[in-house]
Amino acid sequence: MSLVLEFRKVKRTGLAEAFLGGGILAAAVPFLNMTFRSDRYLSANGSPVTILMDANWQMMSMLNVLLTVAGACILYHIEYADHTMQKMNTLPIREVRLFFGKAGVIFTFSILFLLTEAASVAACAARWFGSGPETAARVLYIFGFALLMLLPPILLSLLVSSLCRNMWISLGIGVVCVFAATMLPTRDFVLTLFPFALPFQTPGSLAADAVRNYAIAAAAEAVLIVLLEVIILNVRRLFE
Amino acid sequence: MNIIETQNLTKRYSGFTAVSELNLHVPKGTVYGFLGPNGAGKSTTMKMLLGLIRPTGGSFVIDGRRFPDDRTQILKEVGSFIEAPAFYGNLTGEENLEIIRKILGLPKASVSEALELVGLTDFRKRLARKYSLGMKQRLGLAGALIGRPPVLILDEPTNGLDPAGIHEIRTLIRSLPRQFDCTVFVSSHLLSEIELMADCVGILNHGRLLFEGTLQDLKFSAAAQGYPTDNLEDTFLTLIDADNRRRGGAR
Ligand SMILES: Nc1ncnc2c1ncn2[C@@H]1O[C@H](COP(=O)(O)OP(=O)(O)OP(=O)(O)O)[C@@H](O)[C@H]1O
Ligand SMILES: [Mg+2]
Repeated sequence: MSLVLEFRKVKRTGLAEAFLGGGILAAAVPFLNMTFRSDRYLSANGSPVTILMDANWQMMSMLNVLLTVAGACILYHIEYADHTMQKMNTLPIREVRLFFGKAGVIFTFSILFLLTEAASVAACAARWFGSGPETAARVLYIFGFALLMLLPPILLSLLVSSLCRNMWISLGIGVVCVFAATMLPTRDFVLTLFPFALPFQTPGSLAADAVRNYAIAAAAEAVLIVLLEVIILNVRRLFE
Repeated sequence: MNIIETQNLTKRYSGFTAVSELNLHVPKGTVYGFLGPNGAGKSTTMKMLLGLIRPTGGSFVIDGRRFPDDRTQILKEVGSFIEAPAFYGNLTGEENLEIIRKILGLPKASVSEALELVGLTDFRKRLARKYSLGMKQRLGLAGALIGRPPVLILDEPTNGLDPAGIHEIRTLIRSLPRQFDCTVFVSSHLLSEIELMADCVGILNHGRLLFEGTLQDLKFSAAAQGYPTDNLEDTFLTLIDADNRRRGGAR
């Protein structure tokens, strides 16, 4: 119910177009890379999908996280711009429902742009490496993992946006966090657990138990962020 | 029977009291005019009634339900319009009301009814962002009236309307209790405006209730204190002025 409602609210905001455009842009990354530098990758060792992911995922995931940050900002901007947040609070719904609805919107769009990217990676593997349909399962697994890793930054950027009446502040915080994430040393497991750093991980370059650990960490962070949002909303109410 | 009753309702901001031990009695089925100069605490009171801000002290009951335990139930029965109109600029007037309708779980026809009431039917397909100030105000009102709630809380609903619009909205508010069997709690700066639509008035100054009763009572009480009564606006100004002087000239 609140998901449908949140989808109605974003009509004409350009959000869908932004996600579509961003998804296509990210999907174009492996294609362009292969078009111009295929010899470099064709001679590399390893499975085609792993080679493609290693070469392009940094750039693609960066686009993905920035997209979700911008999406979160827009989703709350429409509430704060013309006082609708106050109106929503005078209606018989709980404020956290808004949060879940908006998370659902970004999550749905994330599935769409990750599928676009997955299709692109699979197509590149087929075209340049001659991979058959057997890669499909592997690609889906990798992008399923990517979706899970995207969950904490989606929720955290929504949490930040829900607290900032001014969209530029939440956008600024989000962008700084994304860039900080790219600069964290990747050797230290604990540091890579920073929510905005998670989407840069991909199973191809991780050991099996690391994949499991990241999955658990992402799920735990998601739960924690939701709890934090609930607590903040309740505490904030006490001070208004 | 009183549909809204407050007991010593108080809101204090660090060292400053915006609303002080307010005891309001809003009779069911009336238009109650809530009057006061800028900064008197009208919006603050209304926001407390809607649970938007937390009272520092006191309590209130709306339609037999006590805040904060019955908050959701209260909000189901109260249509409200506070300070500035709220709308999604990227949606049309109709789509805006559709959102509220969905949340309240009202029948589909309630949107067109609300649009008709405030005279926006012809502009329902226009983006709210492109509405004129008065049209936005009307959209905000439609968002309060939708679904015919038994209680309406309207904060300066005629702000930004042209003279014809003010007259139209006043007439609408005046007719609501009879038409929809509801109670209207409406604020304004102008006694002359309240006089035209309200059955009862409450006069607020610096967060304190100076007077509460019918307009007739107000005239009697003013005459008894030797204030002018032939022009109610003068009565109001004298009342406020006298109260300000009693406070030792502190404004
Ligand atoms: N968050 C806040 N912090 C501190 N003071 C506040 C806050 N909100 C309101 N006030 C103060 O409370 C007082 C009452 O404000 P309120 O908005 O209720 O007045 P009002 O009667 O609605 O006035 P107006 O007719 O101008 O709308 C004002 O002095 C205002 O500055
Ligand atoms: Mg006000």
